[in-house]
Amino acid sequence: MSNFSLALSVYLLLFSALSFSQERAADSSFINDLDEVVVAATRNERKLSNVAVPTTVISQKQIQQAGSLRVKDILSEQTGLVMTSGFGAGIQMQGLNPDYTLIMIDGQPLIGRTSGVLDLNRIAVGNIKKIEIVKGPSSSLYGSEALAGVINIITDKSFNRKLDAGIRYGTYRTVDANVYASSRIGKLGVSGFINNYNTNGYSIRPSTVDRLVLPVWRLTHNVHLSYPLSNSTSLSLAVRYNHELIKNELAVTNNGQITISKGRELNDDWNITPVLNHRFSDRIKTAVRLYGTLFEGSQKLTTTAGETYNDLQKHQFYRAENQSDFILNDHHSIMIGGGIVNEYLNSTRYDNEKNLKKNSITYGFIQSEWSPDKQVSFITGFRYDKNNLYASAFSPKIAAQFKLSEKLRFNASYGRGFKAPDFRQLYLNFTNSAAGSYSVYGTIDAYRLISELQRQGQIEQLESDFYRIKDLKPEFSNGLNIGFSLLQGSELKISANLFRNDIENLIDTRLVALRKVGGGQTTQIFSYLNVKRAYTKGAETEINYRMLTCMTVSAGYQFLSTADKDQVKDIKAQKVYTRDANGFSRIMQRSEYFGLPNKSRHMINVKLLYESSVSGLFANTRAIYRSKWAVTDIDGNGLYNSRDEFAEGYVSVNASAGKTFRERFRVQAGIDNLLNYVDVSNLPNMPGRTFYTGISYSFIPKINK
Amino acid sequence: MKKNAIAIGFFAVCLVSSCKKESTPVDTANNGTFKVFTTGNITTVQNLSADTILGFAPSGQPFGAGRFTFFNLEQKALVPNSDSATNRWDVGFRGTTIIINGGSSGPAAGGGFVWNGAFENLTTIPADSVFRTDNASSTAIPSGSGRGWYNYNGPANLVTPLPGKVLVVRTATGKYAKLEMLNYYKGGQTPSSTASDDKKLREQRFYTFRYTFQPNGTKIF
Repeated sequence: MSNFSLALSVYLLLFSALSFSQERAADSSFINDLDEVVVAATRNERKLSNVAVPTTVISQKQIQQAGSLRVKDILSEQTGLVMTSGFGAGIQMQGLNPDYTLIMIDGQPLIGRTSGVLDLNRIAVGNIKKIEIVKGPSSSLYGSEALAGVINIITDKSFNRKLDAGIRYGTYRTVDANVYASSRIGKLGVSGFINNYNTNGYSIRPSTVDRLVLPVWRLTHNVHLSYPLSNSTSLSLAVRYNHELIKNELAVTNNGQITISKGRELNDDWNITPVLNHRFSDRIKTAVRLYGTLFEGSQKLTTTAGETYNDLQKHQFYRAENQSDFILNDHHSIMIGGGIVNEYLNSTRYDNEKNLKKNSITYGFIQSEWSPDKQVSFITGFRYDKNNLYASAFSPKIAAQFKLSEKLRFNASYGRGFKAPDFRQLYLNFTNSAAGSYSVYGTIDAYRLISELQRQGQIEQLESDFYRIKDLKPEFSNGLNIGFSLLQGSELKISANLFRNDIENLIDTRLVALRKVGGGQTTQIFSYLNVKRAYTKGAETEINYRMLTCMTVSAGYQFLSTADKDQVKDIKAQKVYTRDANGFSRIMQRSEYFGLPNKSRHMINVKLLYESSVSGLFANTRAIYRSKWAVTDIDGNGLYNSRDEFAEGYVSVNASAGKTFRERFRVQAGIDNLLNYVDVSNLPNMPGRTFYTGISYSFIPKINK
Repeated sequence: MKKNAIAIGFFAVCLVSSCKKESTPVDTANNGTFKVFTTGNITTVQNLSADTILGFAPSGQPFGAGRFTFFNLEQKALVPNSDSATNRWDVGFRGTTIIINGGSSGPAAGGGFVWNGAFENLTTIPADSVFRTDNASSTAIPSGSGRGWYNYNGPANLVTPLPGKVLVVRTATGKYAKLEMLNYYKGGQTPSSTASDDKKLREQRFYTFRYTFQPNGTKIF
C-alpha cells in the first residue's frame, strides 16, 4: 500500500507540474466537438449538435490516450455503460442486458453472440476513427437488437497516405501490435490494417489451474477499397477477418473428484461489405449495400483421461439493402430504405449440427427530418420487419429538438425497440449431462419433444408453463429520452438526459416438465416463454470543463432504477416475503426491493486529462465507480431485495501518460486498475493492477495540418 | 480455521448463557449439534440431519443412507428409524423430501398442506382447508424447487426455504401443528454462493425449523 501511495503522490505531483505549464490550447477533443459528424443517430451524416437523440462520440485520440486495445476497454469508461462478464465482455446500456444493444462496424451489424452477449474483446481499436453511441431505441432505423441503443464503430476511411505501426507490451505478457497503411493509387483508395493481440492470461484465484482470463491470441485483418466510377458514383469494399484462439485449462470438481480438461476455443468472423453509392443530383442520393458475415465458434474440451466434448456453432447472415435520401427543400429531407436478410445457423446444441436453421427478414423504413425553422427540428420515422419465424415488428420513432439559443438545446424522443427471438430460443436442444442433467428445448420443438417423451412414459409431470409454450414473439420496448445540453464557450459543456424503457414480452427460461431418470429421481426440462415485463429508468448527466488551456476535467453520473413489473405487483399486493434477522418470514416492503440483478444504482466517472499541443505531452487519469449490484437471491423469495447477496461497489482507476514527437513518434505508458481492486467471483474479467508501455510511429509524415 | 474457532467459541458462550432460561435439550445424539428448545408455544429444532450425503453415484447423483429422520412434534423428539411403521412419528425428512405419517408414508391418519403467509399470522387453520395425504406419486408437502417449501438456485447450487410458507400438519394422533422451515444447512447457516460445491454438499440436509403444536386438538394456535 505504501508503494502505491508513493506512486500516487509522484503521479499527482507530475500532473500538477504539467498543468502549470500554460500553453496554447490544444484542440481538445475531450469536450465533445459539436461539429463532430455522427451517422448512427439518423443513418445520415449529421452534426452532433443537430441530433435529437442522446448521442456520444468517442474520438480516435481519446481511445489512443486512454491506452485502449479493445473496444471493451474504452466503452467501460463511458457514462452509463457497464461491461458485463460471462460469455465475454458484453455491454449494459440504460440498465438493459447486452442482448439489447446493437453493435455495428461501419453500419453493419456484428453477429456471433453467446447467450445474447457479443464479446467486445473481439474488436481491436487500432483502425477505429471514432465510436458512436446512440442511446434509446433505434429499431426504427436498424431493426432487431437496437432496443437499448446502438454502438457504431467507424473505421478510418480517409485513404490519406499513411503507414503507421505500433507495439505495446504489458503485464501478463500482453503484446499488441498494429500496422495500418492507406493510400490512393490513382483513383483507388486502399487501406489495410492488421492487429495481433496476445496475452498469457491470468489467475486471480490462487492455487488453481483455472485462469480467469485465459491465454488468448487474436488476429484482426481489415481491408478497405474505394473507387470512384464517376463524379457521382463510387464503389467500395470492406473485408474484415478476425481470428481468436483461447486456450483453457479447466478443473471441474464433481463428486469430490477433480477432472482436469484442456480446452481450445476458436472463433472466426468474416465480414464482407460491398457498397455502391450514387448521387443523382444534389438532392437525391442512393446507396446499395451488400453485407455478408459469418461467425464460426468451436469449443473443444479434452479431459486428461482423453474424453472429449465438442461444441460448435456456425452463424451466417446475408443482407442486401438500399437506402435513398431525398432533400425536398432547405427544411425537409426524407430517407427511404428497405432490404432482405437471410440468416442461417447450425450448432451441435440443436437437434443435428448439420441441420441448417434458416430465417428470412424483409424490411422497409422511412424517416423524415423536418426543421420548420432554425430553432426546431423533428425526426419521425418507422420501420417494419417481416419475419419468417416469428411475429412481425413495427418500430416507430419520433424525436424533437428545440434550440433555445446557440448555447441551450432541448431534446426529446420516443421510440419503440424490439429484439427478435434468437435461434437458441427457437431451436436449442441441449441437455447438460454434467450439472444436474437438465434439458433446455427451444420453443419450436419443445412441445413435440416433450409430448414424445410423454408417450414413451418418460415424463413425471407437466408444469402449467408447458401449456403456455407457443410461438415466441419479439421482445418490445417503449423508450423515452428527454434531455438538454448547455454550452458555455468552448470551456464548459453540461448535458443531462432522463430515460425510461418499458419492456414487454421479455423471454424467460421456465420449467415446463419433469423427466424421469430412474431411481425415483427427476430432471428438469426448460423452455422459453414471453412472460416478463420490466422497466429501466434513470438519469444521466455529464460535465466537461476545460480548466486550463491544456487541462480538461470531466465527470459523468448515471442513476438507474430497474424492476420486474410483476414482482412489483406482487410486492404491492403483499404477496412477497423475506426473512428477518432471526430467519423468520415477514412481508417484504417495496423499499427493500432492489430490482433486476447485475444493475448498479449509481455510476460515476471522473476524468482528468492533460494534453499539450506544443510539447506533445499528454497524461490522464480516469476513475470509474460502480455501486453495489445484486448477485444471488439468498432469502428464497425469487427476487432481489436488501437481504440478498450483493457484489460490493468499487472504484477502478486507470492512468496513462505519453509524448508525441513531431506528430510522428509516440511513446506511452500506463497503469490500469491502479487501486488493484479485485473481486474474484463477481468481476472475473478484471485483473489486478496491470502496467503497459508502447510506442508507435508514422513512417509517412502528415501532409499538412 | 481461526474464524471457525472463534465461531465455535461464540456458539459455546451462547449455549451456556442461553440454555438456562429457554432451552431444554432433548437429544444430543444426532451429530452432536442437534438441538431442540422451546420458548412459549414455539419450539425450534436445529440441525436435524436428514439423510446427509455419504457419497456419489456414478451418475453424479449424491446419495445418503436413504433413510428418513423421523420426528415427533408433541414429544419434541427424534423417533428411531425402526419405528417407521408406527404412530410414534409425525413428520419425516430425507433430503428435501418431507413426509407426513399417513397415506403411503405411514400407518397414521396424518396429512398436511402448505399455507401462504407469515407463521405468526396463521392463528386458525381455515375451515375450508384441504389436508392432503402422501401417496405414491406425490407428497402432501410437494417436493421440487418452488413447489412446496424450498427453492433450488441452480447457478448458486443452494437450497433455500421459501419465505412466507407455513407447513400445516395433522399429526399421527390427529392434532394440529404449524411449521416454518428456516434453513437447510448445518448450523442454520446457508453457505455463501461462492463457497465450493463440496462444502455446499457436505453441509446440506440439516434442517432448522420452528413449530407450534396445539395439544388440545383444536385448529387454533
